[in-house]
Amino acid sequence: MEVRLTGVVVMSEQNRIDQHTLDLLNGGIDGELSPVEQQELDVLLAGSEEVRDIRDELEAFSRLLEDTPEIEPPAYLQESIEKQIRLPVPGEEKNLGVFSAWFSAHWLRTGFALAAGIFLTVGVYEMGSGPTNTMDSNKMVGTVVKSQSPGQGKLLDSVHVVTDTLNGQVELRRNDDLFTLDVKLVSDGPTGVNVNFADRGLDFEGITRVQESNDVVSVVDGTIKVASSGEQHYSLKLRRTAGTADQQSIPLDLEFFANETLVHQAELSIPR
Amino acid sequence: MHKDKDAALVNGCKQGDRRAMSQVISQYQRPVYNAAYRILGDMDDAADTTQVVFIKVFEHIADYDPKYKFFSWVYRIAINESLNQVKKRRPQEPLADSQASPWPGPAQLLDTRRTCNRVQAALMLLNEDYRAVVVLKHFSGCSYRQIGEILQLPEKTVKSRLYSARQLMKKSLQEDGSQVNGGGSHE
Repeated sequence: MEVRLTGVVVMSEQNRIDQHTLDLLNGGIDGELSPVEQQELDVLLAGSEEVRDIRDELEAFSRLLEDTPEIEPPAYLQESIEKQIRLPVPGEEKNLGVFSAWFSAHWLRTGFALAAGIFLTVGVYEMGSGPTNTMDSNKMVGTVVKSQSPGQGKLLDSVHVVTDTLNGQVELRRNDDLFTLDVKLVSDGPTGVNVNFADRGLDFEGITRVQESNDVVSVVDGTIKVASSGEQHYSLKLRRTAGTADQQSIPLDLEFFANETLVHQAELSIPR
Repeated sequence: MHKDKDAALVNGCKQGDRRAMSQVISQYQRPVYNAAYRILGDMDDAADTTQVVFIKVFEHIADYDPKYKFFSWVYRIAINESLNQVKKRRPQEPLADSQASPWPGPAQLLDTRRTCNRVQAALMLLNEDYRAVVVLKHFSGCSYRQIGEILQLPEKTVKSRLYSARQLMKKSLQEDGSQVNGGGSHE
């Protein structure tokens, strides 16, 4: 049988058919009518060629969609997903997912203090956002201070990074005018994260590291660049510039590099 | 999508059983990937989104409420994640014949491939709310009630969006008329 989508009925033509009949026709095509409604539709179909025409059109359209074959997921997908999942070990108090579980376990293994929602950070570095403010954070003199948990503040947006070479997530949180990008990444080799905040009405406040690592941080022309490797967890702090109108959302462009190759791009948005 | 089987798999995952996890992924990766592709219109984005969906599924599996069907819960995460991706990225050009197509390539299947591409292109012209209901109804085979559960909408809204979306899709396919008629025949 040949079914063609010729002479598709558009709304203006359907105006000749009342809305109730159209609802019955649509419900009939979708197999969602009660026996009473189906009986009513059968009567309408028997009495009107126009109703039958519309039914045929709807059927043809529905078949066209449903006959479109499914596509095969890539062969690597299942294995790739499985590699990223960490299920709970029986006896653990709470089921933990992928990265949160992995990082929590790691922190505990490496002995970092974690108490009452407060992280004891290695250092909080304050620096301006001048056009060429570049530094190696390892060489800075930092003070060990308590800072808010990176997980605190209202969650505004998040992005997951899932690639062969770099995995993790970035969460954007807000505390008043302070915005925190909480970055958790895992990679086998060197990685880079660029955050472009140029001309967005934001100042860079600093970076909070949770663990010793070889991060190199720079701020050049409104882009924060963090180079690191292995297991990483740090927070980038941005503050809304005084006097900036809180009237429109602010996009932050993120780029993720692994082994000096761009592997993922994303945008996080600070809502209005 | 058997409730008892799903319940057993979910329970296994909560107990740390990786075989149960593999089965969940095996059972749902295809529908999740296809739904993501239909909404995003890009195979790479669909694969990335599928991975994120399963990461979220297992991250939150302890929070899964068994009063809902498991597949509805997975689909809800899949649709939401796909829609989030749509909102985050920049507008894309509609799928053209010359672009990579996920459908079969031999010459005898060329008409099918063209039709599939045009259906996908018409789908991409819909706004995200309409696209989601069409995908769930026509590509995932969900009922009105299931769509309502997944999208957390009243059935009345589901119907209204579905009918309007179909009308718009038909219209855009009609505007592409000669090609649809030439490639849209099904024996």
